[in-house]
Order: sequence, then structure tokens, then C-alpha cells
Amino acid sequence: MELIQCQWCQAQNQPGSTSCQTCGAPLDQKNKVSDSGWREAPRLRDMTEFRFSGSTCQVEGELVPVAELNLHPQDGVYFEHHVLLWKDEQVPLSSLNTGGGLKRSIGGMPHIVTVANGPGRIAFSRNAPGEMVVLPLHPGMELDVREHAFLVASHSVQYSFIRIKGLVNLLHGGSGMYMDRFITAGYPGMLLLHGNGDVLERTLRPGEKILVEPGGFLYKDSAVQMQAVQMPLKTGLLRHGMYLAEMTGPGRVGIQSMYVHHHAD
Amino acid sequence: MNTYICRYCRQPSDPSAPTCPLCGAPVDIRSSVSDSGWVEQPPIRDMARLQFGQSHVQIAGSTVPTAEFTLAPEDWIYFSHHTLLWTEPQTRLTNMPLKGAWNRKMAGLPLVMVEGRGPGHLALSDNHAGEVVALPMQHSQEIWVREHRFLCATGNIKYDWHPTNVWYETGQDSDDREMHYPMGQFGDTFGAHGAPGLLLLHAPGNVFIRDLQPGQTMLIQPSSLLYRDVSVRMALHLEYPRSTGFSFWRSSWSYRSIFVRLWGPGRVAVQSVYEPPEDTEVIVNHSYATTHHW
Repeated sequence: MELIQCQWCQAQNQPGSTSCQTCGAPLDQKNKVSDSGWREAPRLRDMTEFRFSGSTCQVEGELVPVAELNLHPQDGVYFEHHVLLWKDEQVPLSSLNTGGGLKRSIGGMPHIVTVANGPGRIAFSRNAPGEMVVLPLHPGMELDVREHAFLVASHSVQYSFIRIKGLVNLLHGGSGMYMDRFITAGYPGMLLLHGNGDVLERTLRPGEKILVEPGGFLYKDSAVQMQAVQMPLKTGLLRHGMYLAEMTGPGRVGIQSMYVHHHAD
Repeated sequence: MNTYICRYCRQPSDPSAPTCPLCGAPVDIRSSVSDSGWVEQPPIRDMARLQFGQSHVQIAGSTVPTAEFTLAPEDWIYFSHHTLLWTEPQTRLTNMPLKGAWNRKMAGLPLVMVEGRGPGHLALSDNHAGEVVALPMQHSQEIWVREHRFLCATGNIKYDWHPTNVWYETGQDSDDREMHYPMGQFGDTFGAHGAPGLLLLHAPGNVFIRDLQPGQTMLIQPSSLLYRDVSVRMALHLEYPRSTGFSFWRSSWSYRSIFVRLWGPGRVAVQSVYEPPEDTEVIVNHSYATTHHW
């Protein structure tokens, strides 16, 4: 019998599986791709379970999903402390300095992330209707994520951040001062994001461009260039300009359908 | 060929399609009607396509659905710039100015609409969990929509806006007088001219529709009204529950409920997410209203 390849993370699964063991995506449903090539991130079924390293993650609920992790003794995860929903008493917590202390604080970003180590159970959620995006990272991948969209990452994923450069990008880009950057070196890892509303992904060819509302940007491969560009439109009583984020391939771009417009009148 | 009228958009439709090609409502489901006569508007199925002119719009997602347009060269749509999620670089975007900029600014309404012209793709979404509601409109058909619920319209649909004339004033001293517009200061009116058109709304929560008979009235939470036929009239309605051994320690407070009364005939639609009027200050002045003291 042939193995089943997951269309979301490309992992191979045993025949008869109904959800991917690596990312939880349903295997018995067709991909939902719009006419222009945006693909919906798979909606994980309630109580879907998948594995990373020696641990498991179960996704519960559908409106504001919860990720419940059962950590193996050798495993650990890190996260921003305010996304922790509950944990077993015996799960130890420690802090990890991300660097950039005062600058990160000014940018509204935590300069410390919290680390939880197994064994034990711990659960996470954010506070908006949306969906959990599971991104298993293969060795040698780099992914940039919108600030405060990151839910939890396994300890084999290196965490850093990049400062958004250029005054125009900073003032009009709508993505804050920093983007989180997640890198895998020699080992695979697991990254969970929370997208507000629905999440759609598109893979850009080299040089292909798409203009995205900056508030809708969720993640991108680090190879995708992001630049704030002014549109030939004027908005508001003072007729100020409208900016969108120009994404240039190659690579994946993920967007969320619910956002606060970054230049609302 | 069978004649099939879609029970949601009331337009001649295709019975062999899984969803109505004009409004996206599923064809192969039973109508869900409450005991009191509210018909639940079924959500547009993920990836359903709606045809207009030579173009179409595809609805993607289910929590906060997006409307992805494939625009033919001769077609165009307009929308508020707040709702633009993404666009291809070749899709032409231009400003569509609106009259009454100062009043619109004061009422918190967008001052400028954006026109999107084909050929090309673009997508729109709102920022609430809810539904996209598609209203195909025939020539000369008009519909009233509550402010901030408009997502986009095709180019042949004319847009206008008028005061709701539903308001009340609180505050006993001239210094703390405050005006309240429980369903917004202005309402949007859309009318199709010359050819059929398509109007898309975004409704937080779920949507329910009902047909009122001539003279039939009903009371609803003001900010829950999503749209109504222009034949349906509306006015403020105030109800004062009977006090049973209870009074406020401040004489300037009162215990009352604020509704909007609707008079048929015509279709009305409500959304299940709304913002209730909060304050308890005594109403000192108001627009035309019916009142009931229990």
C-alpha cells in the first residue's frame, strides 16, 4: 500500500491515516485553492493529534483553538508568556533572553520568552477567533513571522528577530518594528502560529509580486522580500497616501483575513 | 429548463448548481426557519463562485471569509480602502470621491471609496468573525444597509447615504448633553441602474432574514439591523419596564430599553452580533418614537 503524502507539510503518512501525523492536516480532504492561487491553510479537526520530536500536540476547539502539548522528558518548547492557557504543576518554566532588551520593549515586543520542559502537559491559545497554523520546519529553513502571531515553537527551532528597516517600511508597513525569525539548523522543528480569521498561503515564483494589506501579513519565507509601497490613492480628510506591502518571490507568503487596518481613518 | 427562484436572493437561478451562481447560497439544503419565522441565511460555501457581468467573485474561508474577485477588463467594483486584503500589481485602483466629506468624517464613515478595475485579481475582507452576504440586485431595485456593513458593489450600483433619523439625547444640563445614534448617524442606500448588479455585505455573527407583511411591525436591537427593503419604515421605540421596589439613587438615571420599530411590507435582515446601547442617562429629547411604559 502506498504512503499518503500530506499536501501541506509534504510528510509521508501510513495508508488509512485521516490526518497528517506531522502537522495534523486532514488527509481525506481536497486542497482548497482559489482561482488566483491562494491556498487555505488546513483547518485542523477538533481533537486532532500530531507528533513532533518525542512529544504530541492535540488541537482542541475550532473558533479559538487550543494547542495542548504532552511534552516528552527530553523536549522543550518556548512561547510568549501571555499565551499560556494552563499547565501541569510539575512542568518547569524558565526564561530565555532574546536580546535587544530596551529596543524590543519600546517596540512592544517581549525581550524574554518563556521555556517549558517536559515531562508534562501544557496548553496555549491566543485571544481571537482564528485558526492554528502548524508549520513543521525542515533543517535549514528560515521563516519570518508577524509580531505576536507566534504561539509556540519546539526547542530545536532557533528564535531571533529582525528589525524592519527603512523609515517608510517602519511608518507605513503596518507590521511593527520587528518580525520574529525562526531558523532550523541541523534538526527539524515545529512552529505553531495563530492566524486571526482564516489563513491563506500562496507560493510566489522568483520575481513574482503581490501587494498585501500589511495588517494581513502573517508569515513568509525569509527569501521573500517585503517592501512598503505607496499606492496611487489618497485616503482620509488630509488625503494621506495608502501603503501596501509588496511581496516579491520566491517563497511562501501567509496572510490572515482578520486584522486591524493599519491606517484606518 | 426548470425555473428555480433562489429562496435567499429571490432571483431566477440554476437548480442544477450546488450553490446559487448569483448569491452563493447552497441549493441542496433545506431552509432553516425558526418558530417565529426567521430564516437563517446559510453561509456561502467555501470556494463558491458568484457571477456578475463577465467577472466572478470567489468566497474563501469560513471564520472571516474573504471575497476574491477575478475582474474582466470591462468590469469594475468599488469598496472602502479599509477592506482591501491584497491585490495584484496590474489591477487598476483609483479613488472614487464621495460627497459630504466633513459629515462623513464626523460620523466615522470612510471618506473615499476605491475603484478596482479589471483585468486582474484582488481580495477584500472585514475584521469580524461572521458571514459575507451577497445581494444580487435587478435594475431599479434599492436596498438600505446599516453603516459599516458594506463590503463592495459592482460599478452599476449607485451608492447614496442619508441620516437614519433614529437618535436620542441625554444629559440634563447643557454642558453634558450628548447625542446618541443607536444604529449610526447615517445609513447607506444602494440602487441598481441600467443592469443587474451585485452588492456584498459583511455581517458579524450569523444572519437571519424575514418578510414583514404590510403593516406588520416588530422591535429589534438597533445595531442588529443589517439591511432592509426601502419599503420597510423604521423609528425609535422606547420601553420602560415597571419598577418593582427599585429605583436609581441618581435621578438622572433611568431604566429603559431602546429598540427600533420596523413596519412592513418588505424584507429585513438582522445579524446576531451587535452593540447594545449602554448608558442609563435619562433621555431628554429624541427622534420620532413609539413608547411603552409597563
